[in-house]
Amino acid sequence: MTVTAERAGGRGHPRPAKSAHRQGSSRPTRDSYALFLLPGALAFLAVIVVPFLMNTGVSFTDWRGVGTPEWSGLANYRELMDDAEFWASFRHSLFMVVAMAAVPTALGLVLAAALFDYVGKHFGSRWAAVLRACFYLPQVLPIAVAGIVWSWILAPDNGSLNELLKAVGLGSWQQDWLGDPDIALYSVMGVMVWVQLGFPLVVFMAGLQRVDPQLHEAAELDGAGWWRRFRHITLAQIRPEIYVVLTWCTIAALKVFGAVYVLTKGGPGGATDVPSYFSFTTFFEKTQVGYGAAVSTVLTVIILAVSLIGLKFQTRAEDAEEGVRA
Amino acid sequence: MRTALRRYPVLVALVLAALFMVVPFVIVAVNAVKSPAEYSANGPLSLPEGLYLDGVKDFWERVDFGQKLVNSVLISGSVAVLAVALSVLNAYAIGIGRIRGRTWVLAFFVLANTLPQEALVYPVYYLSKEAGLYDTRLSVIIVFTVIQAAFGTYLLASVLGQFPREILEAARIDGANKWQVLWRIVVPVSRPTLGVLLVFFFIWTWNEFLLPLVMLISNDNQTVSVALGVLQGQRLMDATMTNSAALLGVLPALVFFLVFQRTLTRGIAVGAVK
Amino acid sequence: MLPARRYGRRRTRTATALVGTLAGALLLASCGGSGSGSSDGKTLRLWHYEGPDSAMGMAWKAAVKEFEATHPGVTVEFEEKGFEQIQKTAPMVLNSSDAPDLMEYNKGNATAGLLSTQGLLTDLTAEVTKRGWDKKIGAGVRTTSQYDPNGVMGSGRWYGVPNYAEYTMVFYNKDLFKQHKIAEPKSFGELTAAMDKFVADGVTPLASAGAEYPAQQYLYQLALSKADRAWVDKYELYKGKTDFHDAAWTYGAETFADWVKKGYIAKKSSGLKAEDAGVSFIQGKSPILFSGSWWYGRFKSEAKFDWGTFLWPDAGLTLGSGGNLWVVPKGAKNKELAYDFIDITMSKKIQNLLGAKGGVPVAADPAAITDPKAKSLIADFNTVSGRDGLAFYPDWPVPGFYDVLVSEVQKLITGSAKPDEVLDSLQEAYDKGVPKT
Repeated sequence: MTVTAERAGGRGHPRPAKSAHRQGSSRPTRDSYALFLLPGALAFLAVIVVPFLMNTGVSFTDWRGVGTPEWSGLANYRELMDDAEFWASFRHSLFMVVAMAAVPTALGLVLAAALFDYVGKHFGSRWAAVLRACFYLPQVLPIAVAGIVWSWILAPDNGSLNELLKAVGLGSWQQDWLGDPDIALYSVMGVMVWVQLGFPLVVFMAGLQRVDPQLHEAAELDGAGWWRRFRHITLAQIRPEIYVVLTWCTIAALKVFGAVYVLTKGGPGGATDVPSYFSFTTFFEKTQVGYGAAVSTVLTVIILAVSLIGLKFQTRAEDAEEGVRA
Repeated sequence: MRTALRRYPVLVALVLAALFMVVPFVIVAVNAVKSPAEYSANGPLSLPEGLYLDGVKDFWERVDFGQKLVNSVLISGSVAVLAVALSVLNAYAIGIGRIRGRTWVLAFFVLANTLPQEALVYPVYYLSKEAGLYDTRLSVIIVFTVIQAAFGTYLLASVLGQFPREILEAARIDGANKWQVLWRIVVPVSRPTLGVLLVFFFIWTWNEFLLPLVMLISNDNQTVSVALGVLQGQRLMDATMTNSAALLGVLPALVFFLVFQRTLTRGIAVGAVK
Repeated sequence: MLPARRYGRRRTRTATALVGTLAGALLLASCGGSGSGSSDGKTLRLWHYEGPDSAMGMAWKAAVKEFEATHPGVTVEFEEKGFEQIQKTAPMVLNSSDAPDLMEYNKGNATAGLLSTQGLLTDLTAEVTKRGWDKKIGAGVRTTSQYDPNGVMGSGRWYGVPNYAEYTMVFYNKDLFKQHKIAEPKSFGELTAAMDKFVADGVTPLASAGAEYPAQQYLYQLALSKADRAWVDKYELYKGKTDFHDAAWTYGAETFADWVKKGYIAKKSSGLKAEDAGVSFIQGKSPILFSGSWWYGRFKSEAKFDWGTFLWPDAGLTLGSGGNLWVVPKGAKNKELAYDFIDITMSKKIQNLLGAKGGVPVAADPAAITDPKAKSLIADFNTVSGRDGLAFYPDWPVPGFYDVLVSEVQKLITGSAKPDEVLDSLQEAYDKGVPKT
């Protein structure tokens, strides 16, 4: 149609590096598919790549956010390598990955299947929709407000959780959930599961739309139980969503800042410090923009490396599947 | 054949879990209608003694909440639509076009999300000033369209990677070009995923705080989340007003979700297209 | 043929409608900010971030009215900002054409000091002397208005004018004291005795919050009680080397840890926020709160019991400083109007109003304040200011020190570090960040 022609004429050269011949196909070159990437590539270049390069540039300077930056070479990076607290905080990131990626994905899968296959079928889609909305609600609340409310719930004196434990006779289980350095991290993890659960759930439930119900019926006729059908049909069909959700939640876990900051401010005594906290406070509380830029560049590189690993796994699995299907 | 009774425990368990998810909202709602004196005297977890709506009214007028709502709807709505469109284009090329090196192309787009937002602040401020877009809502729309499209591209490309080849071949044999295949076949079938993206992008942009705080200086341009920030003073915070404001701010996003969650289920099943 | 063809027309219509709406929306969104103002002397663009119900908010609203009455034809364009927005964006905004004519800004080296070195603030020294503001502002209060070429407060040109001041005091619940048969403490010894009695009765006497500023203010005050002016100058104004293991700091840290052990400060306060501490006082759960005058207005309207204040006993120094500053951005277009407005806020009428509403004015007429609690609030301030007892705040000297203090004091509360170790960490962070002049 005309739009494609406009693009080809007006924007110039397609990217030769991205054109390739698909294996075993007699299709013409894939240049024109690359044209679909053009608007996205240009936009990302302007809004992300250029600022990232600017940020990396600033990381080699000493700058307070105003005035002219002073070149300082690798000084910021050397200082960062020596910052023990920063690297120690990555340990907490691992906990966050569990709380924000592993647990919500697993729980989300089970819940999605339960709501879609079970509740949807036996009680009607209205129930499934209402329940899904309830589970998604935490994602709608601004994290600052959620943090305030959870600090009320987890307050050591008269907090809802401790009051509840007292009421059911488990008074001895009461804790200073956010103020005890030994438990604070786990409390934060719990809140993060609450926050994140809705995200995988909605993605998976949308993905389950793709599953051909005939597959399930056939399997049921063959005598397969719910669990086996779940494993072999459901999981297989929504594998792309699972990869995406896991990778995305892992990135979010490595980047997490707002929730932790509102709940514990990284405390008590650094027990819930996360790497992004260093980036944020250096930028805005210390206004050491040069150092902050170095911190965020290092963070970006690390997170990008982790996501590349995830992406590589995913494309390799997809290619293998492609090979099987073709 | 299962008896009807055996199904109920599952439903009950799910309902209980759902109620647990909703508890903090109830707390927000409860505190939104308390007077500050009540809140201080009885604590945040007590029930209100009556409906105190002056806080909500005061906040509405104080920050010109109506204008903030308009701004937020404008920005979030535009970002949602534009980012979905951008994601569709990108994902079509990556997922269905299978261009070579798609891991790297995906990584290029995912970079938008791995970059911490605070690193974007100064560069985006500088670039928008150069472009004359500082303190405009358009700058925020552009930036967030790109940021959200990262997830959209990734999810949609992964999903489209599984798109049944037979349908595409059939359409191609019928003489459709790539553009037609995209809009006539791929988009309708991907409606649930597109619906997910639309909803996510709207809500994520609605709650964005840092970049709008930095980019939108004039009060007329500010969004709901920035207006909420006004209540956090240097040393004191207004708890009941924060809750009323939060409730007011959450309602539109909630309404959007409830309205659009129907699209999450309204897709053309693969079998029908076959 | 293509199976979806029959949907073609309907979809084209929807698509066109969508594109149309989007285009309109984007056009709307590209409209810029409210403009950069003009220097025609007809509008004063004013920003501040004090709540409308606070003493400052109300006094400044009255000042706006007064200004418009005395300047016919001039309107005041006021925008209420959030503290966080100004904190994060001031360097950027002041560097753009969006800067207002007059705005409230935070005092201190890291904020006003930094911007003054970058030439973003107008030098107000000439106006200050011309209009006599310096005569109204006492020595301790003006420290935060003057910054030297390195951005250090205490000397140099005037870059900001404060309308109010703040200081810390002991808020106490008179009813609870009566209930437990304890007299109002007049000395430090009586204070600790009172706290012992409360602990014996099963009540934690001090309201504190380890996750925010209150806890570190206890620590600092304890140290101040063994320090002098020169000590503060060394710490805050870099006039000498600060040793965190000297007598004052050691006393402060050890006493703080001791107080946690004795039960004066709850161990559970490690994760609490300032709001929780304040609410616990208002609820009548904690009989004593040591914090700043910024709580005064809220206690006045929400506390249902009889309460009073007194200065920290047996200490010449206490936390406090001049309040936030009126600054005139370098790029302001209507500087004369801005100066006139500052003048009005410094007038007796507005200053008295500020005092009457529960703030601490810098230049009010003491006889004009009738409310007894407000009277004593201002009188106590004058006492402290008169003896040059304002010692600023512990997190001021080094950018980012606030987080270090919070973290280290939390360790003191939970007992995960000994006072010695805490002081070591503080020393390290202080030395790393102190400007090398």
